[in-house]
Amino acid sequence: MGHVDRAREFVADASRTSWHDEALWFVRAKRDQAADDVPDWESLRTHAGRIKRHALSRLPELWKQFEQNAQDAGAKVHWARDAEEHNEIVADLLRDRGIRRVVKSKSMLTEECGLNERLEADGVEVVDTDLGERIVQLRREPPSHIVMPAIHLRRDEVGDLFAKEMGSPPGLDDPGELTDVARRDLRPRFLAAEAGLTGVNFAVAETGGFVVVTNEGNADLGTALPMLHIASVGLEKIIPRQRDLAPFLRLLARSATGQAITTYTSHFRGPRRPAPGADDERAPELHVVIVDNGRSHLLGRPAFREALACIRCGACLNTCPVYRRSGGHSYGSTIPGPIGSVLEPSRDPVAHAELPRACSLCGSCSEVCPVRIPLHHQLLAWRGELVAAGHRPMLQHYALEVVGRLFAHPATYRGLGALARTLARLVPKTALTRVLPAWTRGRDLPPIPPKSFRALYRERARRRASRTDRREERASGSSHGNEDAMR
Amino acid sequence: MTSARETILSRLEQARPPASEAPAAMSGPPRAGDEIGTLRRHIEAAGGRLQVVSRANGGLAGVRWPIDLDTTRHLHSSIPEVESRGVGTTSGSDRELADLDLCILPADFAVVENGAAWQIPARPRERSAALLAEHLVLVVDAQDLVPTMHEAYERIDLGDSHFGWFLCGPSKTADIEQALVLGAHGPKTMTLVLVDD
Repeated sequence: MGHVDRAREFVADASRTSWHDEALWFVRAKRDQAADDVPDWESLRTHAGRIKRHALSRLPELWKQFEQNAQDAGAKVHWARDAEEHNEIVADLLRDRGIRRVVKSKSMLTEECGLNERLEADGVEVVDTDLGERIVQLRREPPSHIVMPAIHLRRDEVGDLFAKEMGSPPGLDDPGELTDVARRDLRPRFLAAEAGLTGVNFAVAETGGFVVVTNEGNADLGTALPMLHIASVGLEKIIPRQRDLAPFLRLLARSATGQAITTYTSHFRGPRRPAPGADDERAPELHVVIVDNGRSHLLGRPAFREALACIRCGACLNTCPVYRRSGGHSYGSTIPGPIGSVLEPSRDPVAHAELPRACSLCGSCSEVCPVRIPLHHQLLAWRGELVAAGHRPMLQHYALEVVGRLFAHPATYRGLGALARTLARLVPKTALTRVLPAWTRGRDLPPIPPKSFRALYRERARRRASRTDRREERASGSSHGNEDAMR
Repeated sequence: MTSARETILSRLEQARPPASEAPAAMSGPPRAGDEIGTLRRHIEAAGGRLQVVSRANGGLAGVRWPIDLDTTRHLHSSIPEVESRGVGTTSGSDRELADLDLCILPADFAVVENGAAWQIPARPRERSAALLAEHLVLVVDAQDLVPTMHEAYERIDLGDSHFGWFLCGPSKTADIEQALVLGAHGPKTMTLVLVDD
């Protein structure tokens, strides 16, 4: 099942589609307001993009520098070639310490790796602590958005879920009360957790530290109490210096949700210092797992490597007319929307061949991207590449073949055009909807003009010529008209 | 067998893009005229509150605390003017701090362009206290305002600390239908107190 089929399921509920569309447009509008509030917004985007491009050209040096500094600060650094290796590293760390209860804050990387399933197979209880992420975890479905995981759900659906899973009164649908139910359900889990797992927003080579941002404080609560913190970080997340954080933090929350900054912007470097007189038996540990999983491959593709500059703000999702109306699950990928449609085909071109076409090439994604990734150019480039590799729907393949030949023969094209105009008047429209159901669903055939564009254009040129001649005649004082000859 | 580290580093070397220069350091836009007004606007947009008190008028004695200090049972304070009490004074596990009603911490400086305050938890437990308390109050000297994050990072030095953070507003979420709810996991209210001369 491809994007079109999954999108069809989503849009079958027309009121949900328009509600989803409006909810995301609301976030996009807040982003615009926040951007307008920053006088140097455009140069900020350029600056941030240049830092990322610079970093991408120096990844081996930067990661070695990070590793050294992180180790000096007392952290343990691990390297994982792929998702499986990442999951094994995390699973081993937990098993060696006999840890069964883990809290996790939102991390698209661990989603990409399927970490939860791997740990659950070991009998480890993994609790996603971001509210949206907890909701989709309890529904046993993936997040539909990289910043707002449960944006596809309505409050009554959350109420039903919480009634079933957390024993809240049925029919509860006030977001404040529902959040309080989740807070009371999650607080004891935070207190009981033996390890906290987080992602990383920015890793800093200069310090060997990293930054994690949240609004809920779940990454902080999840790592402040347990003795073990494991942070998983993709290869693209590194920046050279601490001061480089400034442009990115100015851009990230404004682009994501229209906030000037998130509630919590936490800078970690090395493990927590043990509290004097604490009754905790073990010294706190920090482990950083650096993950490739296809990123180095993407780096080697000049047409697409700039997608590695992404800071996962989700602005391109919020603005995308296709994403807003088809929902995140329609993409069938860890990361949906324009950035997902660029990243995912590099991972698996066959499975995600449809994604670069889930796009109208309107270019809005490139306009809002805080690091100026040329997303719509990349989507177009993917289409070219995938077609060249033979990933093209059969119908489109033959249709383009026919159209190509037709355009090469103007006389035939004109003749068929005349025939089509005649037929359109004689044959009922339903015949067309039967032949091309995908094209006529949700849109009507416009009235067929009686004349071709070519004929209309010729007539117009003739009328203009006659007007010009008349003006010239008047100007020259000529009184004898020969309009008949003109006509 | 080649280690994962060597494999990844060699993959990155092979895929290395052409050199791309780092941009020169960027400074923020010109200072906003009304700094306290801008700070207030951003803190309130984040669901927090800003209070300005002056030393001339008794300093922190003029603060309207989020809850009545006299009847507060569990309090953690890292400022000399207010004493800790209840679980805020015990030395057991951080988890006991879950009962905290109020946490008061000093912050190093605040950022005008977004309302965030920079804080390095200096004493043990400060970080857990700031997360587990029902109400959070940060105290900053009015001299310690920086216009943007660029100036903020000129001041930031973790030194020997393993952790530091920007805090702006209470813990919050909008994950259910984009409706803003204060108090997702941590404090339900957050107040920044600016102490002026």
